[in-house]
Amino acid sequence: MLRRLGFVVLLLASCRPSGRPAVGPSQRIVSLLPSFTEILFAIGAGDRVVGRTQWCDYPAAALAVPSVGDGLPPNIEAVAARRPDRVVLYNAGPNVTAAKQFERLGIRTVLIDLNRLEDLGPAARTLGRLTGQEEQAESLATVMDSLAGRPPPSSTTSIAFVVWDNPPIIIGHGSYLDQLAAQAGARNVFGDITAPSAQVALETIVARDPRWIAVLVDSAAPPAFMKRREWRAVRAVREGHFLLLKGSLFGRPGPRSGEAIRQLTALLAR
Amino acid sequence: MKWTLLGLLAVVALIASVVIGPAAVPLAELAHSDIVWNLRAPRALLAFLVGGSLGVAGAGLQALVRNPLADPFLLGLSGGAGLGAVLAIALHVSGPWALPIAAFAGALAALGLVYRLGLIGGAALDPRILLLGGVAIGAFAAAITTAIVSLADAAELRNAFLWLWGGLSGASWDTVLVVALYAPIPLAVLLAAARPLDLLALGEESAGYLGADVEAVKRRVYLAASLLTAAAVAVSGVIGFVGLVVPHIARLTWGHRHRALLPAAFLGGGVLLTFADTLARTVVAPRELPVGVVTALIGVPVFAFLLRRWTIA
Repeated sequence: MLRRLGFVVLLLASCRPSGRPAVGPSQRIVSLLPSFTEILFAIGAGDRVVGRTQWCDYPAAALAVPSVGDGLPPNIEAVAARRPDRVVLYNAGPNVTAAKQFERLGIRTVLIDLNRLEDLGPAARTLGRLTGQEEQAESLATVMDSLAGRPPPSSTTSIAFVVWDNPPIIIGHGSYLDQLAAQAGARNVFGDITAPSAQVALETIVARDPRWIAVLVDSAAPPAFMKRREWRAVRAVREGHFLLLKGSLFGRPGPRSGEAIRQLTALLAR
Repeated sequence: MKWTLLGLLAVVALIASVVIGPAAVPLAELAHSDIVWNLRAPRALLAFLVGGSLGVAGAGLQALVRNPLADPFLLGLSGGAGLGAVLAIALHVSGPWALPIAAFAGALAALGLVYRLGLIGGAALDPRILLLGGVAIGAFAAAITTAIVSLADAAELRNAFLWLWGGLSGASWDTVLVVALYAPIPLAVLLAAARPLDLLALGEESAGYLGADVEAVKRRVYLAASLLTAAAVAVSGVIGFVGLVVPHIARLTWGHRHRALLPAAFLGGGVLLTFADTLARTVVAPRELPVGVVTALIGVPVFAFLLRRWTIA
């Protein structure tokens, strides 16, 4: 009887949440979004990032951190092998499931929204709180908040972001790129589409007649569709008004969003 | 009467497709609008040609394998085409025509493999093995495609799936010209096989007794239908449903004689895809629906209606 009681006590003891260090600043962080990696480095917590995605290529110091894959969805074992005490994830469907799996392994997680400029300030503050870098995070967040709150200049030109050519997928109002364009003084001709991105007919692009066609590319080579005959119906294509935007700078909201806006403004003024 | 109605539908579908669109083009400017001439007109014609080709290919294959579920894409061609397209992107093959050509090559490779499998029992092409081989090769190609997409770095690979889902955004006079020169040959081969296909419905043995060169017919029909489908998938991706349902609709209305069935399937397929594409471009404008969604949404109710009338009668 005594033995059995001892067993129950042991069982109860093992059920107690254990093995978790007291909540303090995270010491080993795996970042599963390039934007988070950039923020962590910007607020002075870069030396505590022990895992990143293969897309996290900025700042250069981040490349020295081991990659845990593409993060879409997160490879649980590869992340766990980095023995993190905190995993930072983008708040979306598959990541919510992954976060639960990390929690079951005793790894703390945080899911952060980061879709638009106004999400940057809160994201920086959250990461600052988790890493104990509140002060630096606050100064970054202040800059980001003022960027997001700045009324956009009146537009002097128009733009369409083409994500894919067949079928044509464009960027709509509810997206970061739409905000970038507005801040750079360009009107997104698909600003009336509320979704972040949408499939449209080519003739709709022709009819909306943007002055610029912007494409996010990783290489310097222009996309092949520019040479396709049906795309010649678009005036900006005929006139060669292409903006080849580097995805690593323009494709993600982050500490360099201000830089992206400046560069886009300069490109549009050509 | 039936033919007049179908012909009328075809004309209406083509005219509607050119006149209606998400961009507002005043009627007075229709004749000299760039949007109409360089986008809508080639897109309408391509939709009609692709829809018609899929309809005929489906009718031919259903007769060949004597299975009502046969669909032009069941025989592994979509898997092969997808693999070709994804390989072209992963290997950075550039050029405006890289994707269609790679998809066509992939479809042809799958066709060759399935054909070879179909002959595995000897010199006679076994339709059951064609079906099984097609499904197996298609699944195998799809698995390799998924592996490449998940392992390769190129972010654009994820979008390659969009292209595979099918659509007519790539239509231009160039594509129309290519299809218009290419499609008549396999179409003519299938039409010439109309009589032996009728006999094949009685079973291979009976068809042989009645004077059909069964082996030659089976090969010709398989190759012609597959070559038609390969061209369709190269210019417009995998547009589902047309090749499955249109032959059945045509059969319910025109009967089982292929001399009438095949032309009806061509016109019916053309009408369905042209109407579907017009709706895809306009109903949620300025956005666009994937055309395969619309072909299913129109095709199924029409099919159900005809099936009901046919089974009651």
